[in-house]
Amino acid sequence: MFTRFEEYAASSMLGQPDSPPRQQGKFLFDKPWERDVFGLALSLSKAGYFEWEAFRQNLIESIAEWEDGYCAGQPRWDYYERFFLALKKTLVEAGVLSAAEIAAIDAAVVTVRA
Amino acid sequence: MSELFKYDDEREAASAAKVRALEALLIEKGVLGSDSVDTVLGHFETVAGPFNGARIVARAWVDPAFKQLLIEDTPKAIATMALPQGMDGAEGEHMAAVANGDGVHNLIICTLCSCYPWPVLGLPPYWYKDPVFRARGVREPRAVLREFGVPVTADTEVKVWDSSAQIRWFVVPERPAGTDGMSEEALAALITPEAMMGVALVPSPSATLPPSTSLAAG
Repeated sequence: MFTRFEEYAASSMLGQPDSPPRQQGKFLFDKPWERDVFGLALSLSKAGYFEWEAFRQNLIESIAEWEDGYCAGQPRWDYYERFFLALKKTLVEAGVLSAAEIAAIDAAVVTVRA
Repeated sequence: MSELFKYDDEREAASAAKVRALEALLIEKGVLGSDSVDTVLGHFETVAGPFNGARIVARAWVDPAFKQLLIEDTPKAIATMALPQGMDGAEGEHMAAVANGDGVHNLIICTLCSCYPWPVLGLPPYWYKDPVFRARGVREPRAVLREFGVPVTADTEVKVWDSSAQIRWFVVPERPAGTDGMSEEALAALITPEAMMGVALVPSPSATLPPSTSLAAG
């Protein structure tokens, strides 16, 4: 049994549809934001804001949505993009943030880029 | 192709900015401490991971008495090293080391589930849970090892160690040629989790090819 939340959380994903990218015994983060979003999900669940399993089910669903899409027009596969979508959904479901707050984050970034 | 990459750059920048905005909002609302991300990931990056196994193996290479103790009483040997506090916690309490040597090669598998010595090897590769790997590792370990690029001959004795909830095995690979006089730290940098699973050898630092990562990546 895992007594550390971090190990339980990581272990529950291994060999499953939401298995995170890994290399030589470590998580593989290509960009700093990927590490940030993974750490955010872990620390929020560890702090009790939502069950890790609830987040995982959203992640599995988010991955399945991409898998089910048509190849044409499909954005390139990006594990942490699916991960981020699942985290936002989980935060709303758990009542940590409102749908409006999430929408504002997405909209603000779009505005800044425009 | 350049349009494709341009699109990806923008997508990356947008994702990064959104994650930063989310983190800032969570901190502002008092949901998250500002160091929480580093704290939880620190477990994998500095407490329990393949860097511990590499240090243990490097010590075994330079200190024959330590190596003997490591094989005879792995927890006792590990306890003599100043490894990160907490690394010997879950999944690591019953670790046992086996050493490769002349004509002997060890391979670790887990036929039941995915028992794995996390504190010394870190996160298992994706294929470790694969039923095909588990089955073939028992039935035809030589063929599996050759596919991984480990040159086992008919004369090599191959020992397969099945990890379980009781014992989680790891391999002390052979010290490669061309490493005389190297420090423990420099030696540790050569040692991969794959080598400590028995699916790779530790390459000589003078080898022109980089260590193989293609099979275990991801």
